[in-house]
Amino acid sequence: MSPMVKRQLPFVALAVALFLFGGLAPHAMVDVGIWALIYGIAAIGLSLLMGLAGQVSLGHAAFIAVGAYTQALLVGKAGWNPLLAAPVAVIASMLVALLVGLPLLRLRGHFLALATLGLGIIVGVFVTEQDFTGATSGIFGLPNLEFGGRSYDTAQEYFLLLTPIVVIGLWLASNLVHSRTGRALSAVNDSEVAAECLGVDTFALRLRVFVLSAAYAGLSGVFYTHWLTIVNPSVAHFELSVKILLMVVLGGLGTVWGAVIGAVAVQLLDEGLRAIIPVLIPSAKGEIQLIGFGVVLVLVIILMPGGLAQLWSKVMSAVRQRNHPIVRGEHEHKVTQEEQRDLLEESLKLLARAEHMPAGQTILAIRGLTKRYGGVTALDNLDLDVKAGEIMALIGPNGAGKTTAFNMITGVLPPTEGSVVLEGNEVAGKRPHIAAAIGATRTFQNLQTFKSTTVIGNVKVARHLRSQAGLIRGMLLLDRTEEKLIDQASQAAIDAMGLTSLADKQIADLAFGKQRQVEVARALALEPSVLLLDEPMAGLSGPERDSLSWLLRRVKASGVTVLLVEHDVAAVMALADRVAVLDDGKLISLGTPAQVTSDPKVIAAYLGEEDDHSGGPAESPTATAASAATSPAAGGQA
Amino acid sequence: MTDLLQLVFSGLAQGSVYGLVALGFVAIFAVREIVNLVQGEYAALAGLAAISAVGAGLPLLVAVLVVIPLVIGVAVLLERMTIAPIKKMTPLTSIILTLGVSTAVKAVMLLIWGPEAKGLPTFPGTDITVGGVSIRSQELWVLGIAAVVAYAVIWFYEHTVRGKSLRACAEQPVAARLVGISPRTATVVAFAVAGFTGAVAGVVGSPIYLSAWSSGLSLGLKGFVAATLGGLTSLRVAMIGGMLLGVLENLVAGYLSSGYRDAVAFVVLVLVLLFRPHGLASKTSAVRV
Repeated sequence: MSPMVKRQLPFVALAVALFLFGGLAPHAMVDVGIWALIYGIAAIGLSLLMGLAGQVSLGHAAFIAVGAYTQALLVGKAGWNPLLAAPVAVIASMLVALLVGLPLLRLRGHFLALATLGLGIIVGVFVTEQDFTGATSGIFGLPNLEFGGRSYDTAQEYFLLLTPIVVIGLWLASNLVHSRTGRALSAVNDSEVAAECLGVDTFALRLRVFVLSAAYAGLSGVFYTHWLTIVNPSVAHFELSVKILLMVVLGGLGTVWGAVIGAVAVQLLDEGLRAIIPVLIPSAKGEIQLIGFGVVLVLVIILMPGGLAQLWSKVMSAVRQRNHPIVRGEHEHKVTQEEQRDLLEESLKLLARAEHMPAGQTILAIRGLTKRYGGVTALDNLDLDVKAGEIMALIGPNGAGKTTAFNMITGVLPPTEGSVVLEGNEVAGKRPHIAAAIGATRTFQNLQTFKSTTVIGNVKVARHLRSQAGLIRGMLLLDRTEEKLIDQASQAAIDAMGLTSLADKQIADLAFGKQRQVEVARALALEPSVLLLDEPMAGLSGPERDSLSWLLRRVKASGVTVLLVEHDVAAVMALADRVAVLDDGKLISLGTPAQVTSDPKVIAAYLGEEDDHSGGPAESPTATAASAATSPAAGGQA
Repeated sequence: MTDLLQLVFSGLAQGSVYGLVALGFVAIFAVREIVNLVQGEYAALAGLAAISAVGAGLPLLVAVLVVIPLVIGVAVLLERMTIAPIKKMTPLTSIILTLGVSTAVKAVMLLIWGPEAKGLPTFPGTDITVGGVSIRSQELWVLGIAAVVAYAVIWFYEHTVRGKSLRACAEQPVAARLVGISPRTATVVAFAVAGFTGAVAGVVGSPIYLSAWSSGLSLGLKGFVAATLGGLTSLRVAMIGGMLLGVLENLVAGYLSSGYRDAVAFVVLVLVLLFRPHGLASKTSAVRV
């Protein structure tokens, strides 16, 4: 059975189980089940928001309310056919989310959470204040759903109507998690900066997921309306928002299945508490079930942050281990250097982009690039032209401003002053995904891998810009052909780095040097026109350094421009066409390796002689920086 | 004109309650980068507990002096039980966690005090009228006490060595440890301060604005909005921001419709985040990259 078909089985099983339950269970249980399914739809959407976008809505009931009220108004007051009204109700929810998300999702951290909490209050206030929404008494006397010759007015009928909706909703959400969009957002959650440098537009994707999550909530509101046949301001209340949130958290953050399981569990908890608490405390009235919600939320986060899904996978892996003890010491195929180079030629063919700027033209023009932090100037007025098809190395003592320059070229940091023109486009001060879209990507000095996935999972993110499938194509599984191409190209990049045997390993299990190589493979998979490598040799063994040098020459030969920050001076001098030397934020020398090594200023900067002897107190920072860098530099030159 | 002055004055009093709640947000955020959603609950709890204490026959002043340390204790205890055990705190975790705590505390208050809103007896004094503007003595109490408490908190954090090093904990944990302040101490102190300002807000505000099990929700949101005006880091701007918010709410309620009072905070929040995401006063980044 193909893995694709295998992945569909749980959905079939869920559908069968729900149909059986709806058909056979006693009326009272089906009634509880209906509410679990109605709220479960909203929980699936919130689960996407929390799992993929890493954001939380504390007022998700507001979106349910918008859907519910829109449906009630269109059907109850305007006399629309419910089937026509439903899409409008869903769109209304999505519009509200768009309005809130547009300004707020650009900000990191807590703001969306608090703003949605406020939105819940505002929607509640609005519907209470307006006459057309029936003020405090709401809109009532709505019809039951009736279509296709059936009337959905009994619990059983309604449950059977909801079943396919929930299963399909879950299926779509699950597909999204495994799609190009899901992969990109999951990468953002692991390392936002790395994902953006590979061309992921975090804001745009998060906004889409937020709007989608509101669509689920709006649909939930539609079914709420037709089951209760009355809508009043209580639907927007904080209590419901907490309940939906609890469903997601209890079920398990990061899995859409958890939302449905959590919905059932929370609905049972809700009904149970409402029955038990008044028996224990006779004076209790109002929303007393909240105590259970609060306590369970806290306990799950403290004791079992992965929710019921985590519990399930623990149980399953325990069962599996008993049945199939893990075989240790698996055979690893050793590839000879010859074989690897053949493999590499093949992979480079796959990765070769047709058009590169003609060699020798200026592909990257840096003018007056400056970064100041308060009184400290990290990079001072850098002018540099990088020619297409060359390997340029950026060297200098620690703290010379090399990484700062990289950060500003790739959009990771906005410059204080100056411009960066990449293939004719100004990119200074723009987000990293803009530079990536033009063709510049990078690796990082301090590793920025996507820790929650495998080696190939890391590399596939780099194909983001070389593929198109959006939210809808991903949800409907119309992205299969493209996904195959992504797999092939990613495998090619991994082969090129000689990491073939590690492709399916979790990246977090690899040694530091290997992770660094994965970063290079990842950057190559983007098919960049300018490749910026920040200390790619660090942590690599001698033979690994040799293969990387060899690979970079091959990459250059295929027309890619390489900009390199590296402390291994010997390797740099052997590899680079030109070398730029930075010291204390200033460009002090630029030329061929031979020219640079004989430049007295460079020698002084590296050995720190002049500063050590003649430098007064005013120059002491330079002296410190230079002497701090002496030892690694000297080691490299030896 | 008298109307306007009247609205502004009572808005200032109402707003200083928001300001006190906002101080608690800032105190905790500065140390732990956690938005503590329990903040509003401290005020509701203090108000309701004081009402019960007075109902049990305690004099008002004694009731207040008993309740404030009690709420500080609850704030610290809840921190030890729920925040402290978490090893890796992300924004998402902290929000869910403090939302859970706040929901549980709300429900406990509902079980103990029931759903109705109640008010503490007003503090001693007589209402006065100045130039047509009627001023309730309780409003003067609110303004006076809020001013003293805010001044004390700001002075503690900005002018005492201990306070300054407590705040430095967030930016320089190693340095703070070197001068003998552990992140643990800093967190406990921050929650104690938050419990204190919240409790004061609850007891001084209760006679006018009433206390109910659910009142912490909107009070917390408004305190947060005020804190956002100060970029979540400035105590002064948070306090002043709270007062501005109170005035603005009163103007909307007075000139537009009283029902929309609660919507003001949300609109202000969105506008601030849209145009001045790092707060009104500062241009530096409060939102960490």
